[in-house]
Amino acid sequence: MPADAALLEAARARARALGWDDGLIDRALEHGYGADAIGGALDAKLAGKQASLFLDRPRIPPDLTWMQSPTEWGVRATPADAEHGLTVADIMVGSYGEVPDLWTDRTEIARGSHPAEGTIEDMGYTIFEKAIAWAPSVADLYEEAIRERWAAATDLGWRSLEALPEDIERAICQLMTEQSERAYAQAVVLGRWLPEISYGFVELKLFLGSVIYDLARHAEAFRKRALANGGGLGLQAPTDLVRGAAEARSFPELAAYLFVQDSAMLAFFDEAGALARNQLERDLYALAARDRARLMRYQIERLASYLEAYPDRRVEQHLYLRKAEIRMAREWRDPAVREPLALLLGGGRDGMAQGEAALLAMRRRQVEAYLANLAAAGFERAPRLHSALRAYVEPAAD
Amino acid sequence: MSATPETPALDLSWLDLFDEPAAVEPSDRGLTLEAIAANGLAAREDAPRDMTPRLRGASARANAHRQGLTYQTKADVWADQCLALYEEAVQRQWSSARDIPWGELEPLPDETERAVCQLATMLAEVEFIAGDVPGQWLPSISGDEFEVGLFLMSQIMDEARHTDVFRKRALANGGGLLAQGAGLGLRNLLDAKDFTEMSVLMHVQAEGFVQSMFRMGELIGPTAADKRIFRMAAQDESRHLAFGVMHLKHVLAETPERREEIHHYLDRAEERSGGGSGDVTFPPVFESLAILLGGGRDHFDEGVAKFLLLRRRQVREYLHRLDVAGLGDRRERLGPALTPFAA
Repeated sequence: MPADAALLEAARARARALGWDDGLIDRALEHGYGADAIGGALDAKLAGKQASLFLDRPRIPPDLTWMQSPTEWGVRATPADAEHGLTVADIMVGSYGEVPDLWTDRTEIARGSHPAEGTIEDMGYTIFEKAIAWAPSVADLYEEAIRERWAAATDLGWRSLEALPEDIERAICQLMTEQSERAYAQAVVLGRWLPEISYGFVELKLFLGSVIYDLARHAEAFRKRALANGGGLGLQAPTDLVRGAAEARSFPELAAYLFVQDSAMLAFFDEAGALARNQLERDLYALAARDRARLMRYQIERLASYLEAYPDRRVEQHLYLRKAEIRMAREWRDPAVREPLALLLGGGRDGMAQGEAALLAMRRRQVEAYLANLAAAGFERAPRLHSALRAYVEPAAD
Repeated sequence: MSATPETPALDLSWLDLFDEPAAVEPSDRGLTLEAIAANGLAAREDAPRDMTPRLRGASARANAHRQGLTYQTKADVWADQCLALYEEAVQRQWSSARDIPWGELEPLPDETERAVCQLATMLAEVEFIAGDVPGQWLPSISGDEFEVGLFLMSQIMDEARHTDVFRKRALANGGGLLAQGAGLGLRNLLDAKDFTEMSVLMHVQAEGFVQSMFRMGELIGPTAADKRIFRMAAQDESRHLAFGVMHLKHVLAETPERREEIHHYLDRAEERSGGGSGDVTFPPVFESLAILLGGGRDHFDEGVAKFLLLRRRQVREYLHRLDVAGLGDRRERLGPALTPFAA
């Protein structure tokens, strides 16, 4: 028997063992399939139906038109900083790095890829203008978030916690309950906006993904602290502020509204070490502050870009800021928000008078930081600051 | 004129809310969500709910706003392993910038580079949508099942990383982004009107198909960097998939009357030409995979045979996962595009 015939017979035997139709191999050869294809199908141990699907029809040569898609062939992205690896900023090379002021494709096409022919369904995005949500540093902030990742379960010294006086522990737990809910609620609000952002601004969406994940970790970590040391969960956080964020009808409204809280939160965590009773809490506040500093950078850059692109929308921003200022001031007066802070700042229930004074000073710095952040974005708010917050930064009139 | 804010009289009623103190001990995995869900704080099917942003266990405020409709039954969103899956996600975060050996990429034959880039282009699209979908559902999750929300938030981060790593791969070795993957059936993931519908279509079916492909990354990826990308992404996908399977299992156990409804979602998804989202039969994807699996354009037919093996693996693993979740009868009503691969 010639070698080829022997090989063919062996192939037929393997095909029979796999349950292929009698004669399938011969028909495949007639259809133009070569030994590679038949041998590959046998090696893959395709079942009878699958083998027929593949081999029992005329061989259609591959189309491969996708190989002709125009690309910037030969343009290689390389790391600008070896320590940071290949970053998103590094891959913004050639036309792939051009973020359009107006993105017009309503499909899920990856920016820079070659559009498919024909009609493709609308994916329902609503954000097509860059200045609506973009900030120049989003790619860097995203990579920074990844480099600075931490784990609440293992990066905090849970075993180092020691029993605290009951009033102190309860105040910490009330604060943690509030902060956990605030972080979670903000992540939920931001998550709802992800499907609105088109692929033209993919780097922005990556960054917002990292923000949502940061906030998840904050929600988790604050809750863990509330439950780790014998205290427990307290009263739920006030809902005025978060409700306003959920009411936002546009991304600029949401961003302006959250600007108020984001500023206040960062200022708070920046000095929350003064409230800490142990290293775990100092570390937790510092980590939260570091994460929130990235978010604040985004907020300032976004607002500056937005105001530059839409100067006619400047006055409108006052409305959203005012709404948030009123609600935040109201929440600051809430007993379950104000009193735990005063208790911690005063060193206990007996020191609450001093604590109240220290809290007023902290609130003043929070408002000042808020106004400074707006000023950094090129927005003058001080003259129109709502009276409920102005009261914290201006001395009482006699 | 302004005045220093008036300091209201002390209330301090919040100090009386802590009536059952119990400390929680960390384990060798640190202080986990499972540990803090002890002491009566675990999610319950019969928990009183209020649709406010309150997270489970906190005392309710009498004046709290409702925040919009949320699911009022645990079974609608729960997956038994979601606490552990979230913790695993946090521990296993990785960096596409530093954990992929980009420096080891070397010039490939043009056809191979184009095939890798085509696959990466398709995946950069798929993963983009996979991040939008969980975001869309966050507002529907009650604070009583906030761990589901945390898990979805970790998934958003995972999908961002996947979008980023596949985009990086397309641009790292001189290829570029190729053809749009139109027709991948991704719209149906966004169109879901129920959490379970979304989870079955995205976590179980779409991510299941993608996961089966990633697990063949050793065969598909022509370089060490490609193989590593698939391995790392597969690690994340396995969590998303596990969530979906465990959620489906919970739904079927708690609300067996939903079985036919869930079949209906799958019937519709499988009617699509290739069998649902994560479809790899779209020509540019199919052909690029065949080139990569076969080892070049000259071995295209050999690659097609291996592609069929991949397809078989996808369908068989899909059926196995449904079986584990309690939907083993799916095998009898599988869509025609998938049936040949079920054997």
